[in-house]
Amino acid sequence: MNLTALNLTGVGLGAAVVIGVCTALLGLVLPSRARPAAVGVGTALIGAAGVLAGAAALAGRSFTVALPGVLPLSGVEFALDALGGLFVAVTGAVAVAASVFAIGYARSHGLGARGVQVVFPLFVLAMLLVPAAASVGTLLVCWELMALTSLLLVLAEHRQRREVAAAGRWYAVMTHLGFLAILTGLLLFAAHATDDSFTALRQAAQQLPPGVGGAVFVATLIGFGSKAGVVPLHAWLPRAHPEAPSHVSALMSAAMVNLGVYGIIRVGFDLLGFSMLGAGARWWWLLVLGLGAVSAVYGILQAAMSTDLKRLLGYSTTENMGLVLVGLGAAGLFASLGQAALAGLALGAALLHVLNHAAFKSLLFLAAGSVLHATGTRDLDALGGLRTAMPVTTGLFGLGALGASALPPGTAFVSEWLLLQALIHGLPSAGGVTSTAAAIAMPLAVAAVALTAGLAVATFVKAFGVGFLAKPRSAAPEGARESPVAMLAGMGLAGLACVLLALLPTLVVPAVSEASGFVLGGGPALSGELTLRLVGVTGALSPLLLAVALLVAVVLAAGLTRVVTARRRVGVARRSARLWDCGGGPLSARMEYTATSFAEPLQRVFDDVVAPETDVDVDHHEESRYLVRAVEYRRRVPDRIERRLYQPVLGAVAGWGEVGRRLATGSVHRYLGYGFYTVCAAFMLLAVIR
Amino acid sequence: MLGLWRKIRRTGRVAEPAPPRPTAGPLEAAVGLGGSVQIRHVDAGSCNGCEVEIGSAFGPMYDAERYGARLVASPRHADALLVTGVVTRNMAEPLRRTFEAVPAPKLVVAVGDCARNCGAFAGAYGVVGAVGDIVPVDVEIAGCPPRPEAIVEGLRKLTGR
Repeated sequence: MNLTALNLTGVGLGAAVVIGVCTALLGLVLPSRARPAAVGVGTALIGAAGVLAGAAALAGRSFTVALPGVLPLSGVEFALDALGGLFVAVTGAVAVAASVFAIGYARSHGLGARGVQVVFPLFVLAMLLVPAAASVGTLLVCWELMALTSLLLVLAEHRQRREVAAAGRWYAVMTHLGFLAILTGLLLFAAHATDDSFTALRQAAQQLPPGVGGAVFVATLIGFGSKAGVVPLHAWLPRAHPEAPSHVSALMSAAMVNLGVYGIIRVGFDLLGFSMLGAGARWWWLLVLGLGAVSAVYGILQAAMSTDLKRLLGYSTTENMGLVLVGLGAAGLFASLGQAALAGLALGAALLHVLNHAAFKSLLFLAAGSVLHATGTRDLDALGGLRTAMPVTTGLFGLGALGASALPPGTAFVSEWLLLQALIHGLPSAGGVTSTAAAIAMPLAVAAVALTAGLAVATFVKAFGVGFLAKPRSAAPEGARESPVAMLAGMGLAGLACVLLALLPTLVVPAVSEASGFVLGGGPALSGELTLRLVGVTGALSPLLLAVALLVAVVLAAGLTRVVTARRRVGVARRSARLWDCGGGPLSARMEYTATSFAEPLQRVFDDVVAPETDVDVDHHEESRYLVRAVEYRRRVPDRIERRLYQPVLGAVAGWGEVGRRLATGSVHRYLGYGFYTVCAAFMLLAVIR
Repeated sequence: MLGLWRKIRRTGRVAEPAPPRPTAGPLEAAVGLGGSVQIRHVDAGSCNGCEVEIGSAFGPMYDAERYGARLVASPRHADALLVTGVVTRNMAEPLRRTFEAVPAPKLVVAVGDCARNCGAFAGAYGVVGAVGDIVPVDVEIAGCPPRPEAIVEGLRKLTGR
């Protein structure tokens, strides 16, 4: 065992492993009544240890350990640097909130079963170990462990709902195809190095032929991109995230998809570091930028059309990962053009967005879980009126929705503002880039980010307004009651993180610039006061001041209205009148906006893109065709990319299977014949070759 | 677009010359409105004859808006109600609620013979009564249906212009 001096990072990581294994064992032996609480607390401790390790690594205390005896052939090697530390800290923080929530959630959803409770801490542990892996073998083992544990957790409720099994199949196949792509890419890379450790790969990158570098990058991009839910490899995401238990969805959506981003940064910027700087590698980053822009716009469009609350959040994850990829692509492009300051800014914005997305998405998924717990439905068209019954959940979901919609004082605003700044400063007119491809890509990326931000506002206004406000749209939300304390505490932790990140992003900016500085090898481009240091241009922004100004404006407006109305009221008696309902009966829930009707104008605008299928059935009275008995309107927004890309492949595979079945008729004579002819062919082949 | 402009130029002004200004000034209850009256139309059970005439009273020929009367889309925005037709059973309560929804000071104009005294429908089984039986009426406009000139004249009693 080869160990550098055991420091805080090592202690944190070691503690996470020890607690993780102990918690899994506890889950195995404890009686079912005590199990959720013990596992929840244990997993929260794993997360806390991860946060500790990540923070220590960001403070510059990197840690390396090699355990050659653990795995045959390659051994296991861990190292935690600033980049890995950031992702470990984010994962740990999400795990703390999700596992506190899980204590309350597991009890009521039949998730206290032994299998789920054993796998849950192992999933968190695997996610913490992925960014700490320092060799190809270790990375692949941790990656596969993470994939398997998450698959088992997705399948947790397969007895209750049929769709879970289908979602699990999609997830299993796609995550393993992604694994295959990563495996291919990294093995190709390792074949040019002395061994499979990352140190050796970094050295090998200097003599890598450009074609091999490109192939490695594209293969790993496919694998890691499918984990990050990037279009067109996103098909599993809107299936698996809604069907998983809510705390698992929060972990998958806020922590696991980040690791796809981590993989792209690790391979693209760090391991292939030398070859990415060449002009020949510019197309890599244009590819990343393009994929990111398409994912962002397509993801949020599908989210805007969704009526399933968790599916909406799942598509929003695709959108946010797309924005992160836009940042990464821009950073790589700037780095390959020699614009170090801009590259640092773009990468910093991307990493900050990873952080922000983790905060608001875990809050939103946990709040969606709380709604599901109280009402038993995720269908926005059947929800509504939760404001009075579940005030805390409503408030926290509202906070998350504000965070997701990129408006000040929301969480995502800071990082998207930084991202836009980086892209705008990269425009040729701002003295940014000189390459033609980049000059075309940058304005398009700015437009895509702006369109995404606008659509995100509409999406989350819909999710919050239709889901929580107004009157209940069906019987399901009528008897809703506020969730237990543990669930509220889990959501509260995530909400606190949202508020802190929104108002005081300066707390985490040093960590983010440390990580981006580590990756790019230059100094940090962001300083403490969120001032941009760019040649010729400076921009400054204080989200706290923005929030204070907003608050003052609201108070002033409310105060002024009060003063004016009070003065007017002196002579006239106040009269209370009933709500204007066009003179008819009282307003009913059937008159409210539904999620479908709210999205209808958007659906019309983007008719050619989303290609919705609408179906109108008019039912007439028997006496006369002029008297309508009922009109039924159905709308489905199928995932178009999925239909165009996946259906033909699936059809071809099924066709192959049919053809293959014809070979096996069940006749023993035929099977003996196959054996005979195969042996003959083998002999003939040998006779020819030798 | 150009065709539209050409049509406008060729047609010119079609409004009838304005009749002389009413000498009496606005009704006492309408003085506070200052000559600008926002009107909400309520069909309490009309045969649509009066609606056609109201339509032409606010059309380009008679152009009631030049005297300060304007049709609005909600009683919350209105100063006056323009009620047509007999008040049927189904419309009695909505009419009452619409009247309550109008902010004070408020006025009611009953348009047509049905609204004034049930006209041809007096005594019919679905009829509750004339408009005056349900809400207080300030101005009555006679006729079955009243001519647009009569409607304009009635509205000018409110605006005083």
